[in-house]
Amino acid sequence: MAPFELVAPATPEEAVASLRTGPPGSTAVVAGGTDLLLDIEHGRADPARVVSLRRLPWRTLDWNGPVLTVGSTLPLRSLELDPDVRRRHPGLFEAVHAVGSVALRHRATLGGNLGRAAPVSDLVPILLALDAEVELLGPDGTRTIPVDAFVTASRRTAIGPHELIRAVRFPEARPSAYRWQRVRPANDISQIAVAVAFSPTAARWSVAIGGVPPRPVRLPDVAAALGPGAPGDERLRRAAERVGPSVAPVTDRRASVEYRRHLAGTLFARAVRAALPAPPAEGR
Amino acid sequence: MTAGLALHVNGRATTVPEVPADERLLDTLRWRLGLKGTKEGCRTGDCGACTVLVDGASVLSCLTLAHDVAGGHVTTVEDGDDPDLARVRATFARAGALQCGYCTPGFVVALAGLLKERGRDAPADELLDGLQGNLCRCTGYAAIVRAVRGLAREAP
Repeated sequence: MAPFELVAPATPEEAVASLRTGPPGSTAVVAGGTDLLLDIEHGRADPARVVSLRRLPWRTLDWNGPVLTVGSTLPLRSLELDPDVRRRHPGLFEAVHAVGSVALRHRATLGGNLGRAAPVSDLVPILLALDAEVELLGPDGTRTIPVDAFVTASRRTAIGPHELIRAVRFPEARPSAYRWQRVRPANDISQIAVAVAFSPTAARWSVAIGGVPPRPVRLPDVAAALGPGAPGDERLRRAAERVGPSVAPVTDRRASVEYRRHLAGTLFARAVRAALPAPPAEGR
Repeated sequence: MTAGLALHVNGRATTVPEVPADERLLDTLRWRLGLKGTKEGCRTGDCGACTVLVDGASVLSCLTLAHDVAGGHVTTVEDGDDPDLARVRATFARAGALQCGYCTPGFVVALAGLLKERGRDAPADELLDGLQGNLCRCTGYAAIVRAVRGLAREAP
Protein backbone atom coordinates (compact mmCIF):
# COMPACT_ATOMS: atom_id res chain seq x y z
CA MET A 1 0.00 0.00 0.00
CA ALA A 2 1.60 3.25 -1.17
CA PRO A 3 0.75 6.32 0.88
CA PHE A 4 -1.53 8.71 -0.92
CA GLU A 5 -1.90 12.45 -0.90
CA LEU A 6 -4.91 13.51 1.18
CA VAL A 7 -6.74 16.76 0.51
CA ALA A 8 -9.82 18.14 2.27
CA PRO A 9 -11.32 21.00 0.24
CA ALA A 10 -13.28 23.59 2.20
CA THR A 11 -15.95 24.37 -0.39
CA PRO A 12 -17.94 22.37 -2.97
CA GLU A 13 -16.37 24.40 -5.79
CA GLU A 14 -12.86 23.61 -4.56
CA ALA A 15 -13.81 19.96 -4.17
CA VAL A 16 -15.03 19.70 -7.77
CA ALA A 17 -11.96 21.56 -9.01
CA SER A 18 -9.67 19.22 -7.05
CA LEU A 19 -11.02 16.24 -9.04
CA ARG A 20 -9.26 17.66 -12.12
CA THR A 21 -5.79 17.34 -10.57
CA GLY A 22 -3.65 14.38 -11.51
CA PRO A 23 -4.05 11.71 -14.21
CA PRO A 24 -7.54 10.25 -14.75
CA GLY A 25 -8.39 7.41 -12.37
CA SER A 26 -5.68 8.33 -9.86
CA THR A 27 -8.01 10.19 -7.47
CA ALA A 28 -10.49 8.59 -5.07
CA VAL A 29 -13.24 10.46 -3.21
CA VAL A 30 -13.84 9.59 0.43
CA ALA A 31 -16.69 10.50 2.77
CA GLY A 32 -16.78 8.21 5.82
CA GLY A 33 -14.15 5.90 4.32
CA THR A 34 -15.61 2.67 5.71
CA ASP A 35 -15.66 1.00 2.28
CA LEU A 36 -12.75 2.71 0.49
CA LEU A 37 -10.28 2.12 3.34
CA LEU A 38 -11.23 -1.55 3.34
CA ASP A 39 -10.44 -1.75 -0.39
CA ILE A 40 -7.13 0.04 0.13
CA GLU A 41 -6.29 -2.28 3.04
CA HIS A 42 -6.95 -5.32 0.83
CA GLY A 43 -5.04 -3.90 -2.13
CA ARG A 44 -8.14 -3.59 -4.31
CA ALA A 45 -7.65 0.17 -4.56
CA ASP A 46 -4.41 2.15 -4.73
CA PRO A 47 -5.24 5.83 -5.28
CA ALA A 48 -2.46 8.39 -5.61
CA ARG A 49 -4.76 11.10 -4.25
CA VAL A 50 -7.72 10.98 -1.92
CA VAL A 51 -10.19 13.86 -1.76
CA SER A 52 -11.97 13.92 1.61
CA LEU A 53 -15.40 15.54 1.70
CA ARG A 54 -15.33 15.98 5.48
CA ARG A 55 -15.23 19.79 5.42
CA LEU A 56 -18.12 20.26 2.99
CA PRO A 57 -21.45 21.56 4.40
CA TRP A 58 -23.37 18.53 3.15
CA ARG A 59 -24.28 16.83 6.46
CA THR A 60 -27.85 17.98 6.01
CA LEU A 61 -31.36 16.62 6.25
CA ASP A 62 -34.15 18.81 4.87
CA TRP A 63 -37.89 18.41 4.39
CA ASN A 64 -39.64 20.53 1.80
CA GLY A 65 -43.28 19.48 1.95
CA PRO A 66 -43.25 15.79 1.01
CA VAL A 67 -39.69 15.91 -0.39
CA LEU A 68 -36.82 14.70 1.79
CA THR A 69 -33.30 15.74 0.77
CA VAL A 70 -30.37 14.03 2.47
CA GLY A 71 -26.92 15.58 2.08
CA SER A 72 -24.42 13.06 0.76
CA THR A 73 -22.03 13.25 3.74
CA LEU A 74 -24.62 13.00 6.52
CA PRO A 75 -23.60 10.01 8.67
CA LEU A 76 -26.08 7.14 8.33
CA ARG A 77 -26.56 7.12 12.10
CA SER A 78 -28.00 10.67 11.95
CA LEU A 79 -30.48 9.54 9.30
CA GLU A 80 -31.42 6.52 11.39
CA LEU A 81 -32.04 8.53 14.56
CA ASP A 82 -34.20 11.21 12.90
CA PRO A 83 -37.76 10.68 14.20
CA ASP A 84 -39.40 12.07 11.03
CA VAL A 85 -37.42 9.75 8.79
CA ARG A 86 -38.47 6.79 10.92
CA ARG A 87 -42.14 7.82 10.80
CA ARG A 88 -42.41 8.90 7.17
CA HIS A 89 -39.91 6.50 5.57
CA PRO A 90 -39.97 3.38 7.77
CA GLY A 91 -38.32 1.25 5.08
CA LEU A 92 -35.44 3.69 4.79
CA PHE A 93 -34.97 3.59 8.56
CA GLU A 94 -34.92 -0.22 8.49
CA ALA A 95 -32.41 -0.34 5.64
CA VAL A 96 -30.06 2.19 7.25
CA HIS A 97 -30.29 0.29 10.54
CA ALA A 98 -29.21 -2.86 8.65
CA VAL A 99 -25.90 -1.34 7.51
CA GLY A 100 -22.81 -2.45 9.45
CA SER A 101 -22.89 -1.49 13.11
CA VAL A 102 -23.56 1.66 15.15
CA ALA A 103 -19.86 2.60 15.08
CA LEU A 104 -19.70 2.06 11.34
CA ARG A 105 -22.86 4.11 10.77
CA HIS A 106 -21.36 7.04 12.67
CA ARG A 107 -18.89 7.35 9.76
CA ALA A 108 -20.61 5.76 6.75
CA THR A 109 -22.78 7.97 4.55
CA LEU A 110 -25.62 7.64 2.06
CA GLY A 111 -23.53 9.31 -0.65
CA GLY A 112 -20.66 6.92 0.02
CA ASN A 113 -22.86 3.85 -0.14
CA LEU A 114 -24.37 4.99 -3.42
CA GLY A 115 -21.10 6.16 -4.96
CA ARG A 116 -19.30 2.92 -4.11
CA ALA A 117 -22.26 0.97 -5.59
CA ALA A 118 -21.45 -2.32 -3.89
CA PRO A 119 -23.51 -5.09 -5.49
CA VAL A 120 -24.69 -6.08 -2.02
CA SER A 121 -25.57 -2.55 -0.85
CA ASP A 122 -28.33 -2.57 1.76
CA LEU A 123 -29.40 0.93 0.74
CA VAL A 124 -29.78 0.74 -3.04
CA PRO A 125 -32.90 -1.54 -2.90
CA ILE A 126 -34.85 0.88 -0.69
CA LEU A 127 -33.65 3.86 -2.75
CA LEU A 128 -35.07 2.11 -5.82
CA ALA A 129 -38.38 1.34 -4.11
CA LEU A 130 -38.69 4.96 -2.96
CA ASP A 131 -37.83 6.33 -6.45
CA ALA A 132 -34.93 8.30 -4.98
CA GLU A 133 -32.90 10.64 -7.16
CA VAL A 134 -29.21 11.55 -7.00
CA GLU A 135 -28.11 15.15 -7.23
CA LEU A 136 -24.65 15.47 -8.77
CA LEU A 137 -22.44 18.52 -8.68
CA GLY A 138 -19.93 19.02 -11.48
CA PRO A 139 -17.96 21.82 -13.14
CA ASP A 140 -21.07 22.87 -15.10
CA GLY A 141 -23.47 22.86 -12.17
CA THR A 142 -25.88 20.23 -10.89
CA ARG A 143 -27.86 17.49 -12.56
CA THR A 144 -30.32 15.04 -11.08
CA ILE A 145 -30.81 11.44 -12.17
CA PRO A 146 -32.85 8.53 -10.77
CA VAL A 147 -30.94 6.01 -8.65
CA ASP A 148 -32.04 3.31 -11.12
CA ALA A 149 -30.05 5.09 -13.87
CA PHE A 150 -27.19 6.06 -11.54
CA VAL A 151 -26.18 2.56 -10.44
CA THR A 152 -25.25 0.87 -13.70
CA ALA A 153 -23.55 -2.36 -12.56
CA SER A 154 -21.52 -3.83 -9.72
CA ARG A 155 -19.24 -1.02 -8.50
CA ARG A 156 -20.22 1.07 -11.55
CA THR A 157 -22.21 4.30 -11.62
CA ALA A 158 -23.13 7.02 -14.11
CA ILE A 159 -21.13 9.64 -12.22
CA GLY A 160 -18.80 11.75 -14.38
CA PRO A 161 -15.06 11.89 -13.66
CA HIS A 162 -15.36 15.42 -12.28
CA GLU A 163 -18.65 15.07 -10.41
CA LEU A 164 -19.54 14.59 -6.76
CA ILE A 165 -22.72 13.25 -5.18
CA ARG A 166 -24.21 16.26 -3.41
CA ALA A 167 -27.50 14.86 -2.14
CA VAL A 168 -30.14 12.15 -2.44
CA ARG A 169 -33.75 13.18 -2.81
CA PHE A 170 -36.88 11.23 -1.89
CA PRO A 171 -39.98 12.56 -3.70
CA GLU A 172 -42.67 11.57 -1.18
CA ALA A 173 -43.25 9.80 2.11
CA ARG A 174 -44.40 6.23 1.51
CA PRO A 175 -45.44 3.28 3.63
CA SER A 176 -42.40 1.06 3.09
CA ALA A 177 -40.41 -1.80 4.57
CA TYR A 178 -37.03 -3.51 4.22
CA ARG A 179 -36.50 -7.17 5.10
CA TRP A 180 -33.21 -9.05 4.93
CA GLN A 181 -31.64 -12.38 5.88
CA ARG A 182 -28.05 -12.88 7.01
CA VAL A 183 -25.80 -15.31 8.83
CA ARG A 184 -24.98 -12.56 11.36
CA PRO A 185 -27.17 -9.50 12.00
CA ALA A 186 -24.42 -6.86 12.20
CA ASN A 187 -21.41 -6.23 9.94
CA ASP A 188 -22.54 -8.84 7.43
CA ILE A 189 -23.91 -8.92 3.93
CA SER A 190 -27.53 -9.82 3.24
CA GLN A 191 -28.07 -13.12 1.44
CA ILE A 192 -31.24 -11.58 0.03
CA ALA A 193 -32.95 -8.30 0.92
CA VAL A 194 -36.29 -6.96 -0.27
CA ALA A 195 -37.55 -3.37 -0.22
CA VAL A 196 -41.19 -2.49 -0.86
CA ALA A 197 -42.99 0.85 -0.87
CA PHE A 198 -46.49 2.02 -1.72
CA SER A 199 -47.02 5.36 -3.41
CA PRO A 200 -50.30 6.87 -2.19
CA THR A 201 -50.30 9.47 -4.99
CA ALA A 202 -49.71 7.00 -7.82
CA ALA A 203 -51.63 4.15 -6.14
CA ARG A 204 -48.93 1.64 -6.98
CA TRP A 205 -46.37 -0.53 -5.26
CA SER A 206 -42.69 -0.60 -6.07
CA VAL A 207 -40.47 -3.54 -5.23
CA ALA A 208 -36.69 -3.92 -5.37
CA ILE A 209 -34.40 -6.75 -4.39
CA GLY A 210 -30.74 -6.95 -3.35
CA GLY A 211 -28.40 -9.93 -3.11
CA VAL A 212 -28.70 -10.69 -6.83
CA PRO A 213 -25.78 -9.89 -9.16
CA PRO A 214 -24.73 -7.61 -10.68
CA ARG A 215 -26.77 -4.98 -8.75
CA PRO A 216 -30.05 -4.56 -6.87
CA VAL A 217 -32.99 -4.45 -9.30
CA ARG A 218 -36.61 -3.40 -9.42
CA LEU A 219 -39.29 -6.03 -9.93
CA PRO A 220 -42.06 -4.14 -11.78
CA ASP A 221 -44.10 -7.25 -12.64
CA VAL A 222 -44.20 -8.32 -9.01
CA ALA A 223 -45.16 -4.80 -7.96
CA ALA A 224 -47.98 -4.72 -10.53
CA ALA A 225 -49.25 -8.06 -9.25
CA LEU A 226 -49.88 -6.44 -5.85
CA GLY A 227 -52.56 -4.24 -7.42
CA PRO A 228 -53.40 -0.60 -6.68
CA GLY A 229 -53.78 -0.83 -2.90
CA ALA A 230 -53.57 -3.13 0.11
CA PRO A 231 -53.50 -6.67 -1.31
CA GLY A 232 -55.54 -9.48 0.22
CA ASP A 233 -53.89 -12.72 1.30
CA GLU A 234 -54.51 -14.46 -2.02
CA ARG A 235 -53.17 -11.61 -4.13
CA LEU A 236 -50.10 -11.31 -1.90
CA ARG A 237 -49.47 -15.06 -2.17
CA ARG A 238 -49.69 -14.96 -5.97
CA ALA A 239 -47.36 -11.95 -6.14
CA ALA A 240 -44.88 -13.66 -3.79
CA GLU A 241 -44.82 -16.73 -6.07
CA ARG A 242 -43.56 -14.54 -8.90
CA VAL A 243 -40.56 -13.17 -6.96
CA GLY A 244 -38.25 -16.21 -7.02
CA PRO A 245 -38.61 -16.86 -10.78
CA SER A 246 -38.12 -13.13 -11.51
CA VAL A 247 -34.59 -12.98 -10.12
CA ALA A 248 -31.29 -14.62 -11.05
CA PRO A 249 -29.37 -15.19 -7.81
CA VAL A 250 -26.18 -17.24 -7.66
CA THR A 251 -24.68 -19.75 -5.26
CA ASP A 252 -21.78 -18.49 -3.17
CA ARG A 253 -20.38 -19.11 0.31
CA ARG A 254 -23.26 -17.17 1.88
CA ALA A 255 -26.19 -19.10 0.36
CA SER A 256 -27.29 -21.39 -2.46
CA VAL A 257 -29.33 -20.22 -5.43
CA GLU A 258 -32.30 -22.33 -4.25
CA TYR A 259 -32.25 -20.84 -0.76
CA ARG A 260 -31.98 -17.34 -2.20
CA ARG A 261 -35.02 -17.86 -4.45
CA HIS A 262 -36.97 -19.16 -1.47
CA LEU A 263 -35.85 -16.21 0.69
CA ALA A 264 -36.83 -13.74 -2.02
CA GLY A 265 -40.50 -14.73 -1.94
CA THR A 266 -40.64 -15.08 1.84
CA LEU A 267 -38.96 -11.76 2.59
CA PHE A 268 -41.12 -10.05 -0.04
CA ALA A 269 -44.34 -11.20 1.64
CA ARG A 270 -43.03 -10.17 5.05
CA ALA A 271 -42.03 -6.75 3.73
CA VAL A 272 -45.44 -6.10 2.17
CA ARG A 273 -47.22 -7.11 5.40
CA ALA A 274 -44.87 -4.86 7.40
CA ALA A 275 -45.51 -1.91 5.09
CA LEU A 276 -49.28 -2.26 5.48
CA PRO A 277 -50.35 -0.23 8.50
CA ALA A 278 -53.88 -1.63 8.59
CA PRO A 279 -55.30 -5.12 7.97
CA PRO A 280 -55.73 -5.85 4.24
CA ALA A 281 -58.72 -3.93 2.85
CA GLU A 282 -59.39 -6.32 -0.02
CA GLY A 283 -61.18 -9.65 0.57
CA ARG A 284 -59.73 -13.01 -0.46
CA MET B 1 2.81 12.64 2.32
CA THR B 2 2.93 13.26 6.07
CA ALA B 3 1.62 16.13 8.14
CA GLY B 4 1.30 17.17 11.75
CA LEU B 5 -2.00 16.26 13.36
CA ALA B 6 -3.64 18.28 16.14
CA LEU B 7 -6.44 16.70 18.11
CA HIS B 8 -7.68 16.16 21.65
CA VAL B 9 -7.10 12.75 23.15
CA ASN B 10 -8.82 11.88 26.42
CA GLY B 11 -9.31 15.56 27.17
CA ARG B 12 -5.74 16.61 26.37
CA ALA B 13 -4.73 18.81 23.44
CA THR B 14 -2.25 16.67 21.52
CA THR B 15 -0.06 17.32 18.50
CA VAL B 16 1.33 14.33 16.64
CA PRO B 17 4.14 15.12 14.17
CA GLU B 18 4.61 13.48 10.78
CA VAL B 19 1.45 11.40 10.49
CA PRO B 20 1.21 9.73 7.04
CA ALA B 21 -1.90 10.61 5.04
CA ASP B 22 -3.03 6.97 4.92
CA GLU B 23 -2.55 6.23 8.64
CA ARG B 24 -5.53 4.83 10.53
CA LEU B 25 -6.58 6.45 13.78
CA LEU B 26 -6.07 3.03 15.41
CA ASP B 27 -2.35 3.07 14.57
CA THR B 28 -1.88 6.68 15.66
CA LEU B 29 -3.38 5.87 19.04
CA ARG B 30 -1.50 2.62 19.59
CA TRP B 31 1.89 3.25 18.03
CA ARG B 32 2.40 7.02 18.22
CA LEU B 33 0.55 7.81 21.44
CA GLY B 34 1.12 4.49 23.20
CA LEU B 35 -2.56 4.02 24.02
CA LYS B 36 -2.66 0.25 23.68
CA GLY B 37 -6.05 -0.15 25.32
CA THR B 38 -7.64 0.21 21.88
CA LYS B 39 -7.24 -3.20 20.24
CA GLU B 40 -6.71 -4.30 16.67
CA GLY B 41 -8.90 -7.31 16.00
CA CYS B 42 -9.76 -7.73 12.34
CA ARG B 43 -8.70 -4.39 10.83
CA THR B 44 -11.67 -4.73 8.47
CA GLY B 45 -14.52 -3.22 10.50
CA ASP B 46 -16.01 -6.58 11.46
CA CYS B 47 -15.16 -7.02 15.15
CA GLY B 48 -15.50 -3.69 17.00
CA ALA B 49 -12.36 -4.20 19.12
CA CYS B 50 -10.89 -0.90 17.87
CA THR B 51 -13.94 1.21 18.82
CA VAL B 52 -13.15 4.71 20.13
CA LEU B 53 -15.30 7.82 20.51
CA VAL B 54 -14.82 10.80 18.22
CA ASP B 55 -16.68 13.83 19.54
CA GLY B 56 -18.67 11.45 21.72
CA ALA B 57 -19.78 9.09 18.91
CA SER B 58 -18.39 5.57 18.55
CA VAL B 59 -16.30 4.91 15.43
CA LEU B 60 -14.18 2.04 14.17
CA SER B 61 -10.66 3.44 14.44
CA CYS B 62 -9.34 0.87 11.95
CA LEU B 63 -11.55 2.35 9.21
CA THR B 64 -10.96 6.00 10.13
CA LEU B 65 -8.13 8.10 8.70
CA ALA B 66 -6.29 9.87 11.52
CA HIS B 67 -6.28 13.11 9.57
CA ASP B 68 -10.05 12.92 9.10
CA VAL B 69 -10.56 13.54 12.83
CA ALA B 70 -8.17 16.52 12.97
CA GLY B 71 -9.32 18.99 15.62
CA GLY B 72 -11.74 16.45 17.09
CA HIS B 73 -12.03 14.97 20.57
CA VAL B 74 -10.99 11.32 20.73
CA THR B 75 -11.90 9.23 23.78
CA THR B 76 -10.32 5.82 24.39
CA VAL B 77 -10.88 3.23 27.09
CA GLU B 78 -7.99 4.81 29.05
CA ASP B 79 -9.92 8.05 29.69
CA GLY B 80 -10.08 8.40 33.47
CA ASP B 81 -12.50 11.33 33.59
CA ASP B 82 -15.41 10.25 31.42
CA PRO B 83 -18.34 9.39 33.72
CA ASP B 84 -20.04 7.04 31.23
CA LEU B 85 -16.84 5.08 30.69
CA ALA B 86 -16.33 4.86 34.44
CA ARG B 87 -19.84 3.55 34.97
CA VAL B 88 -19.54 0.94 32.21
CA ARG B 89 -16.10 -0.19 33.41
CA ALA B 90 -17.43 -0.67 36.94
CA THR B 91 -20.47 -2.59 35.70
CA PHE B 92 -18.33 -4.89 33.54
CA ALA B 93 -15.97 -5.54 36.42
CA ARG B 94 -18.84 -6.31 38.79
CA ALA B 95 -20.47 -8.70 36.31
CA GLY B 96 -17.15 -10.35 35.42
CA ALA B 97 -18.06 -9.55 31.84
CA LEU B 98 -14.82 -10.67 30.25
CA GLN B 99 -12.86 -13.79 29.48
CA CYS B 100 -9.59 -13.11 27.67
CA GLY B 101 -10.38 -9.38 27.72
CA TYR B 102 -9.29 -8.56 24.19
CA CYS B 103 -12.76 -7.39 23.06
CA THR B 104 -13.52 -5.64 26.36
CA PRO B 105 -12.24 -2.12 25.52
CA GLY B 106 -14.35 -2.13 22.35
CA PHE B 107 -17.46 -3.22 24.24
CA VAL B 108 -16.87 -0.70 27.04
CA VAL B 109 -16.28 2.24 24.71
CA ALA B 110 -19.17 1.32 22.37
CA LEU B 111 -21.53 1.03 25.33
CA ALA B 112 -20.39 4.34 26.83
CA GLY B 113 -21.03 5.93 23.42
CA LEU B 114 -24.56 4.49 23.36
CA LEU B 115 -25.26 5.95 26.83
CA LYS B 116 -24.12 9.37 25.62
CA GLU B 117 -26.19 9.16 22.46
CA ARG B 118 -29.37 7.50 23.70
CA GLY B 119 -29.41 8.68 27.29
CA ARG B 120 -28.32 7.02 30.52
CA ASP B 121 -31.76 5.46 30.91
CA ALA B 122 -31.78 3.86 27.43
CA PRO B 123 -33.57 0.48 27.48
CA ALA B 124 -31.37 -2.64 27.66
CA ASP B 125 -32.70 -3.99 24.35
CA GLU B 126 -31.61 -0.86 22.54
CA LEU B 127 -28.17 -1.04 24.15
CA LEU B 128 -27.77 -4.69 23.19
CA ASP B 129 -28.93 -3.96 19.63
CA GLY B 130 -26.30 -1.23 19.48
CA LEU B 131 -23.56 -3.69 20.50
CA GLN B 132 -24.20 -6.13 17.64
CA GLY B 133 -21.05 -4.90 15.92
CA ASN B 134 -18.82 -6.04 18.80
CA LEU B 135 -17.56 -9.61 18.70
CA CYS B 136 -16.27 -11.72 21.60
CA ARG B 137 -14.28 -14.59 20.15
CA CYS B 138 -14.35 -16.33 23.54
CA THR B 139 -18.16 -16.27 23.09
CA GLY B 140 -18.45 -14.90 26.60
CA TYR B 141 -21.65 -13.09 25.77
CA ALA B 142 -23.79 -14.24 28.70
CA ALA B 143 -21.87 -12.15 31.24
CA ILE B 144 -21.70 -9.19 28.85
CA VAL B 145 -25.48 -9.29 28.34
CA ARG B 146 -25.90 -9.57 32.11
CA ALA B 147 -23.72 -6.47 32.59
CA VAL B 148 -25.73 -4.48 30.04
CA ARG B 149 -29.04 -5.50 31.62
CA GLY B 150 -27.67 -4.59 35.03
CA LEU B 151 -26.58 -1.22 33.71
CA ALA B 152 -30.07 -0.51 32.35
CA ARG B 153 -31.70 -1.60 35.63
CA GLU B 154 -29.56 0.67 37.78
CA ALA B 155 -30.04 3.65 35.39
CA PRO B 156 -30.08 6.93 37.35
